[in-house]
Amino acid sequence: MSTEVRSARDPRPAGLADRPSDAAPAPQPGEGFAGHGGRSPAPLSEDSRLAIDIRGLVERGEMDEARERFGGLVTAHQRRALRIAYQYLRDAADADEAVQDAFVKVFAHITSYREAWPFEVWFTRILINGCLDRRKARARRDRWFVSSTDATPADEARAAMSPAGGPPDANPEGRLLARERRGRLAAAVDRLDGRQRTVFMLCHYGDCTPREVSAITGLNESTVRVHLFRAARKLRGLLGGKP
Amino acid sequence: MIVHAHHLNDERLLDRYLAERGGEMPDPPVAEHLADCHECAARYDDLAGFLDGVREEADADTDAVFPAEHLRVQHQQIARRLEQVGRAARVISFPGHFVSRHMSVSRARSVTRWIYAAAAAGLVFGVGLGAMGVGALYDSAWRPVSHARPFAAPRPVHLAPVATNGAQPAPDAADDAFLSDLELALERPPTRELQPFDALTPHVREITDRVR
Repeated sequence: MSTEVRSARDPRPAGLADRPSDAAPAPQPGEGFAGHGGRSPAPLSEDSRLAIDIRGLVERGEMDEARERFGGLVTAHQRRALRIAYQYLRDAADADEAVQDAFVKVFAHITSYREAWPFEVWFTRILINGCLDRRKARARRDRWFVSSTDATPADEARAAMSPAGGPPDANPEGRLLARERRGRLAAAVDRLDGRQRTVFMLCHYGDCTPREVSAITGLNESTVRVHLFRAARKLRGLLGGKP
Repeated sequence: MIVHAHHLNDERLLDRYLAERGGEMPDPPVAEHLADCHECAARYDDLAGFLDGVREEADADTDAVFPAEHLRVQHQQIARRLEQVGRAARVISFPGHFVSRHMSVSRARSVTRWIYAAAAAGLVFGVGLGAMGVGALYDSAWRPVSHARPFAAPRPVHLAPVATNGAQPAPDAADDAFLSDLELALERPPTRELQPFDALTPHVREITDRVR
């Protein structure tokens, strides 16, 4: 899969829509996101309205107020962004940096945000682009250095903690089994085709609907559904379930 | 039990799952079929359980790696980075200073080099000129004197008459006259401007004392 990164103005992951038949038409300015499929424009979500307010503040030069209000967007999307980035990169430090970079890039380019896209879609595009870029860089590094698919020491230490960040889990066997299960799942997801992986991750880890995935990736909604179906079938086969 | 000739395919089941998860209205024929066909309902439950499990595993995985404390720290880091966005670019003084300093240093070095070169050239020129000048001066001023000396009248020497047997006066007489002149000069009050040179110059007395 090509991993060319586009600008923040059109941060669609490149290569996902490089086939004309798969490409979905981009909404024009003023056209609501829900009108993407010929439906009536949907009302703006709360975070999209907040993003528009922040854009206005930045345009008026009220940067301090804009930064303060942007904190609300960070809080709303941080956990989801980390989930996507971590499942995509499988490296805690990389995921952490990718999420930070995405938020900073979004704020820096907030004046180019348009209501045609829900903020969530716009932000996820930028995040996915960053993740693709990092995967590309990692692949380049791995050509020259010995790669390690094992978790880093930091990941090991974090994984030893309970989800609440408290002391290590009291049940080492359960922890080990859960870790093994997650490892198998991650390996199976990693074996998916590039488009299938991206579509599956956005849908299942990023809470995106097929239409939102279509907007993020530039693929037709029906194509997204086909990729989702194939990804689910392949994963079930790889994980020992019914294919 | 109603037996259906056709069952729902996996794509329809996935569509149903996505619609249900996204809070959308399910397709009525599919909903009716699932309500009637236990086999398809079991397949749907199996698919939904698998996909829900994948999602739960991902959530647990992410929560284990990024606990609440990490989210808080990351939020602060993002806020700090946002502080730099929109601000005028900070001029880092180090390279600028370094460059200007480097330039001034190199310029000073070139100037110094020119000074050294000029001084060396001046020295060489001066030495050469001096050598030529001394030679010429010697030739023009001193040599005629020395040459003229044989023709000049002999310098009167005020010496006490010493009885000789027709021989030349002893050279000690001239030395004595020179030393007496020197002593007279030393007894005179010293010139202020020459005092530093005098201090640097070893005196006859000192040399004499040293010899003794």
